[in-house]
Amino acid sequence: MAYDSLLGRGGRTEFLLGNEAVGRGVYEAGVSVAATYPGTPSSEIGDVLYQVSDKMGIKFEFATNEKVALEIAAAAATGGLRSFVFMKHVGLNVAMDSFVSLAASGVKGGMVVLSADDPSMHSSQNEQDNRFLGKFAKTIVVEPSSPQELKDFVVSAFDLSEEIGHPVLVRSVTRISHVRTPVKFGEVRGKNEWNYKKDTSYVLMPENAYRAQAAVANRLDRARKSNRSKFFNRIYGDSSTLIVTSGAAYNYIDEALQMLNVKARVMKIGLSFPLDQDGILKEVELAERVVFVEEGGPFLEEQVLSICALRGINRKFYGKLNGYVPMSYEMDVDRVVVFLSEIYGIEHKQTYGGPVLPNREPVLCPGCPHRATYYVAKMAMKQKGLRNVISPTDIGCYTLGYYEPYQMGDFCFSMGSSVGSSSGFTMSAEEKVVSFIGDSTFFHGGIPALINAYHNNHNFVLVIMDNSITAMTGGQPTPETGPPFKKVDIESVVRGIGINNVFTIDPYDLKSSLETFKKALGTEELSVVISKRDCALEADRKKSPSEMKVFQINQDKCNQCYNCVRNFSCAAFYTEDGKVFIDSELCDGCSVCSEPLVCPFNAIEVKE
Amino acid sequence: MPSFVFAGVGGQGIITVAIILGRAAVIEGKPVLMTELHGMAQRGGKISVEVRIGDYKSAIIPSKTADAMVAFEELEAVRNISKLKEGGMILLNRRRIHPVSLTIKQQNYPDQIVESELKKYATITVEADRTALELGNKRVANTVMVGALFSTGLLGLDEESIIAAIKESLPERHWECNLEAFEEGKKLVLEQSAKAI
Ligand code: SF4
Ligand code: SF4
Repeated sequence: MAYDSLLGRGGRTEFLLGNEAVGRGVYEAGVSVAATYPGTPSSEIGDVLYQVSDKMGIKFEFATNEKVALEIAAAAATGGLRSFVFMKHVGLNVAMDSFVSLAASGVKGGMVVLSADDPSMHSSQNEQDNRFLGKFAKTIVVEPSSPQELKDFVVSAFDLSEEIGHPVLVRSVTRISHVRTPVKFGEVRGKNEWNYKKDTSYVLMPENAYRAQAAVANRLDRARKSNRSKFFNRIYGDSSTLIVTSGAAYNYIDEALQMLNVKARVMKIGLSFPLDQDGILKEVELAERVVFVEEGGPFLEEQVLSICALRGINRKFYGKLNGYVPMSYEMDVDRVVVFLSEIYGIEHKQTYGGPVLPNREPVLCPGCPHRATYYVAKMAMKQKGLRNVISPTDIGCYTLGYYEPYQMGDFCFSMGSSVGSSSGFTMSAEEKVVSFIGDSTFFHGGIPALINAYHNNHNFVLVIMDNSITAMTGGQPTPETGPPFKKVDIESVVRGIGINNVFTIDPYDLKSSLETFKKALGTEELSVVISKRDCALEADRKKSPSEMKVFQINQDKCNQCYNCVRNFSCAAFYTEDGKVFIDSELCDGCSVCSEPLVCPFNAIEVKE
Repeated sequence: MPSFVFAGVGGQGIITVAIILGRAAVIEGKPVLMTELHGMAQRGGKISVEVRIGDYKSAIIPSKTADAMVAFEELEAVRNISKLKEGGMILLNRRRIHPVSLTIKQQNYPDQIVESELKKYATITVEADRTALELGNKRVANTVMVGALFSTGLLGLDEESIIAAIKESLPERHWECNLEAFEEGKKLVLEQSAKAI
C-alpha cells in the first residue's frame, strides 16, 4: 500500500508531503485515537490514517463533521489516551463549541488539534488565522514551518499537552501541509493505557466551569514556563534589526535578506501562545527596530506589542498594524522582498507581470453527474417559466455550478448553509428558491437545517447531489459508504423527517430527470430531489477497458446550433473556427451529450 | 541549486513527475522542496508544481529565477512564464486544452498570445503525448517529459537515481513502459538539440 513506508524505522528519510509527515508524527507520538472530517489542505492526513491506522495501532474514523471528530478525540483523552483531531481551518469553527470546553476541562492523555489554514484561499471561503481561535479558546498554540517540523512539533505537542494536561493546537498552512520534502523519521513510542476515572472537570455545568477558569490560567502559566517550550523557538543572526516571524512566512526571510544583501536577527517563534515573554523581550530590548512577518495575524505582533507596552519598552516597530506588511494573503520571497526593501530603505525594482491571458476556471470533470443535474434543473426552471430563481449552493465540487453556463450559486457561506439560508430566503422572497447540496455536506451540516425547514413550513426545492463520496477532497468515504461501515440511506433520512415530496433521479437520464424536476418545482410545499449517480472519477476506477469509449461530433450532422457548448458545456468540448469538437483525451464516455435534450440533431455519437 | 516549474492541467500526471524528481534527489541525498497548487477542480483546472533542488527554505520559486519550465499544456506554459529566468528553457508538450470559458463563446484557442510569448524563451518542443501514444500507452506522456528534462542536463541528477525513483513511485507492472518512455523522452531532446547545432 502507498503509505506503508510511513511505518518504517526511526532514522529513515522519506520524501513526504507535510500532511503525510503528520501521519508519521501521530504514529511516533503513540496516538491511540484519531478523527477528522476531510477538508483541504488537511485531507491527506485522513487518507494516510484511513489506509494505515490499523497497522499503526490507531483507532481512526471519518466523522460526520469536525465537532463530532473533536468530541471523539476528547473522550479518548479523558481516559488517558493520546488523541488527535485534525481539520481545515473553517472546520474548527464547526468544532468551536466543544473546542472551547476542551480547554476549560483540560486533558489526561495528550491531545492535539491540528488546523490546516489556507492563506490566499486556494480552496476555501476565507483565510482565517486559527491561532486566534486557539488563543480565544485558551489552548496552547504551536506553529511549525516545514514538513519536518510539522512532524516533530506534533510529537512534542503531545508531550507538552500531556505534561501540562492541556490541549495543544498545531497550526499548519497550505504551504506546509502541501509541501513535499525529505522528512527524517524519529522513534515510535509506546501507547498509553486506557485509565478512565470519573472527574467533574469534564462536566462543564456552571459550578464546575467556574472552577475550571482558574485551572486554565494555571495550566497556561505552566506551559509558558515549561522547559519543553524552548524546543519550539529559534533565534539566529547578528543585527540591530530583529525580525519576529513564524510558520510558513519564516521560510521566505533568509532568501529575501540575501537578495537585498542585508542582515537581520531572526526570531522564529514556534510556541505562539502562550509566548515566552522574557525571551522575546530580551531580544526586543537589544534591537533598534523590530519587524513582524507572519501569515495571517497580526497575532505575534499584537502580543509582543502589548508586552512591550506593559514593560515600557519602545522601539521602531514595523508590521501589519502600521501598514508596512500587507494584511492578507500568503507570503513568498517576492512579497517579503518588497516590504523589507522599503523598511531597509533599499531601492528594488519590481519586475514581474506577464501578458493578460484567458482564465482557466475550475470545471466539473467530463462525465460529472453534477453537470447533468444543473443542466436539467435549469431547463426545468425555464420550461416552468421561472425567472430569477434564487439558488443557494453549498461546499463541494458542485459549487462549480456557480460558473457559466449554469450560474446556480447565489449564496454560499459554509457547510450546510444552502439549506439554512433557503428557509430564510423563502420567508421573504417572491422568487422561487431552489438550493443545492452534496451528500457529504448534507450529513455534515444539512440535516438540522432541513428539519428546521420542514418544521417551519418553508417551501423550496432542495436538490441533494448524491455521488456517494467526498469528492472534492480526493474521494473519502461518507456515511453512505457500506461495509465494514453501516450505510445510511439519504432518502430514508429525508422521509424520516416527514417530508413527503421526495424524488430520486438518475441525472444521466436527462428526459425523465427533467420531468421529475418540473414536478418538484410545481409542488406547493418543501420538496427534495435526490440526484443519485457515482462520482465520474470513482466510476472510471471501476470501469473495465472494454467499457471505455469516447464520443465525437459527426460534422455532417452538426447544425452548429451550439446548444451543447453554450448550455451543457462539458469540459471535453471545444470549438475551432466555428466547428464543435470533442477532445477524445478528455471525454469520459458518459454519453449524456448524445441524448436529444443536449444535441437535437443527434450529431454526437460514439467514436469507433 | 536548480529550480523547475511544472505547468499544466489537472489529470495530466504533473504531480507524479515532480515526485519522481524529488525522490531521485532524495536518493542522492540532496535537499529538495516541492510545492503544488491545484485549486478546486479534480480535473481540468490549472495546476502548477514547483521543485527546487538545493538548500532552500522556500518551496515557492521567486519570480524570474526558475531554470526551466516543463509545460504539459501551452496556455499554462505562458501563465507560469514569469517564474522563468531570462533565457530560461521551456520544454513544451504541444497540447492544447481549451478553457471552457472560451468554448462557451465559441472562441478559438488563443494561439497568437501563446506563440508570441513562447518565442521569447528557449522553447523545445517535446511531443510527449504523441510519443506516449506511439508507445501504446497515453498515460506515460509525463514520463516522456522526465526523460526530456533529464537530457537537458539541468537537473544535476544521475540517470540511475531517476530510474530508481520511477520504480519507487510506480507499481511494478508499469515499470517497463515508463522506462521506455523515459528513454524516448531523452532522445527527443537530443534530436532537437542536434538539429539546433
Ligand atoms: S448540439 Fe449538436 S448540432 Fe448543436 S452544435 Fe452541438 S453537436 Fe452541433
Ligand atoms: S460523452 Fe459527452 S458529455 Fe460525456 S464526457 Fe464525453 S463529451 Fe462529455
